[in-house]
Amino acid sequence: MTTKSISSPVPDAWYPTLAVFMLAIGLVVTASFFIYEATSSRKNRSLVKELTTAVVASVFLGFGSLFLLLSSGIYV
Amino acid sequence: MGAMANFRKSIIFSVLFFYSMLLVKTLSSSPPSSNLQILTAERRIDLTSHIVRVYLTLKVENTGEAPAAEVLLAFSPAQFDHLALVKAAAAVGKKKKKTYLPLEVNPSDHPDAPNGTKYYSISLLKPLGKAESITLEILYMLTHSLEPFPAEISQSESQLVYYHDSAVILSPYHIKQQASMVKTPTSKVESFTRVEPTDRSGTELRYGPYEDRHPYSYSPVIIHLENNNAFAVVEELEREIEISHWGSIQVTEHYKLAHAGARHRGIFSRVEYQSRPSISGVSSFKHLLAELPPRVHSVYYRDDIGNISSSRLRTNSKKSELLIEPRYPLFGGWKATFIIGYGVPLQDFLFESDGGSRYLNYTFGCPLSETVVDKLTIKVVLPEGSKNPSAKAPFTVEQSMETKYSYLDVIGRTVVVLEKKNVVPEHNVPFQVYYNFNPMFMLAEPLMLVSAFFLFFIACIAYLHMDLSIRK
Repeated sequence: MTTKSISSPVPDAWYPTLAVFMLAIGLVVTASFFIYEATSSRKNRSLVKELTTAVVASVFLGFGSLFLLLSSGIYV
Repeated sequence: MGAMANFRKSIIFSVLFFYSMLLVKTLSSSPPSSNLQILTAERRIDLTSHIVRVYLTLKVENTGEAPAAEVLLAFSPAQFDHLALVKAAAAVGKKKKKTYLPLEVNPSDHPDAPNGTKYYSISLLKPLGKAESITLEILYMLTHSLEPFPAEISQSESQLVYYHDSAVILSPYHIKQQASMVKTPTSKVESFTRVEPTDRSGTELRYGPYEDRHPYSYSPVIIHLENNNAFAVVEELEREIEISHWGSIQVTEHYKLAHAGARHRGIFSRVEYQSRPSISGVSSFKHLLAELPPRVHSVYYRDDIGNISSSRLRTNSKKSELLIEPRYPLFGGWKATFIIGYGVPLQDFLFESDGGSRYLNYTFGCPLSETVVDKLTIKVVLPEGSKNPSAKAPFTVEQSMETKYSYLDVIGRTVVVLEKKNVVPEHNVPFQVYYNFNPMFMLAEPLMLVSAFFLFFIACIAYLHMDLSIRK
């Protein structure tokens, strides 16, 4: 019987780095989202651009916060 | 005065048992299969710890015509209740090249047994033919079998215990020749029942050799000896093993530890305990050693108050050793509750089997050395989305299922609960929990976080697109 050990898809040692970078990118994109919302008027705002920025920001923030949880020892 | 009374008591006891010894009971009733006989039997009883280990070497011969497939071991009802483990192996080969093949041992029921005798049956690998013989090595362990006497001692006294057994081996078969050796922890033995020939030298007590004993021969003996070892008993141990496919297994162990020796009487003087450790509190213990897996990380040791700082962790490539000191030394009857927790890397314990299912391979039992666990509960918390869980252990355990909610859970995690009573260190063997898991379920947690953030952005967009002003 051949046994194969199962390990995490992402090495444990990368978790802190991944958390920092993904959260940083996520926060920058979030900032650009709010800057866009504040600087453009209601008439010439494009919904597609808003939604793409929101999706990119939430993906980075979501995975960033997951890696933050993992690196702080909360293994979900 | 107390010592005098104890002395008198022990004299009365030994006289009583001298008389009872004269009434050596020889019960002759129909044994379950009387075609077997035991040529030589040697029994070594190890009383050096609070767990009684008995090593039995039997040379069994089949004198009948019909082949015998099983050999019965008999136990008195009192011993049977305290049995934690029975292991048997057959010795194969000549002296130098001797190898041992493990045999299956199961409790077996014989309602017509005399005096409520209980049995374990050893299944032989191949039936024993006519006039054939086999050598069996048997190990059985008894817990809670050393009865403290006196039952209460003060801080400066040494702990004395009674051990009850029979001078001749209880067996449903005729035993041609037998001898028993009892190993005591110190050479201090207050009294012991004599069944001639009996011999004592140093830390060894020898009963026998006795020749030609009938089936079910029994001659009770009492040995009153000194035993100052740590009578560490975990009354309840709950181990929770939580698997995360993101790379870690978290283990949390809840202990209810007790000293099961002679109860402490009178006051406890810390000054005396600290200044004269060789004579004060010899039966107490103040630290325990826990053996944890290698590559263990984030170890903690705490109780309800908070962190307990008196612990040491040593790690090497083979194992990790955690030396823990409870908040106070434990005397007879004292208890301590605490929690030990640690994390181990996932790849050391989680494997994929041929059928595509995953299994956890972890050690059963209690990591504390030389400790009896009265009730052990192991809870294996599988990741959310696991299917078809099943557990496999090398001995009988009670199984049940539960659901647990932890971080970022929606449907709850399946928990496999394994329960076993009367666990000794020899039960620290691997057990497996099999389950099916689709790796896509691992994305459930990050997607949950992503959708939470996305909902926030949608709310922001919706708010900024709405015109909530009253004035046009």
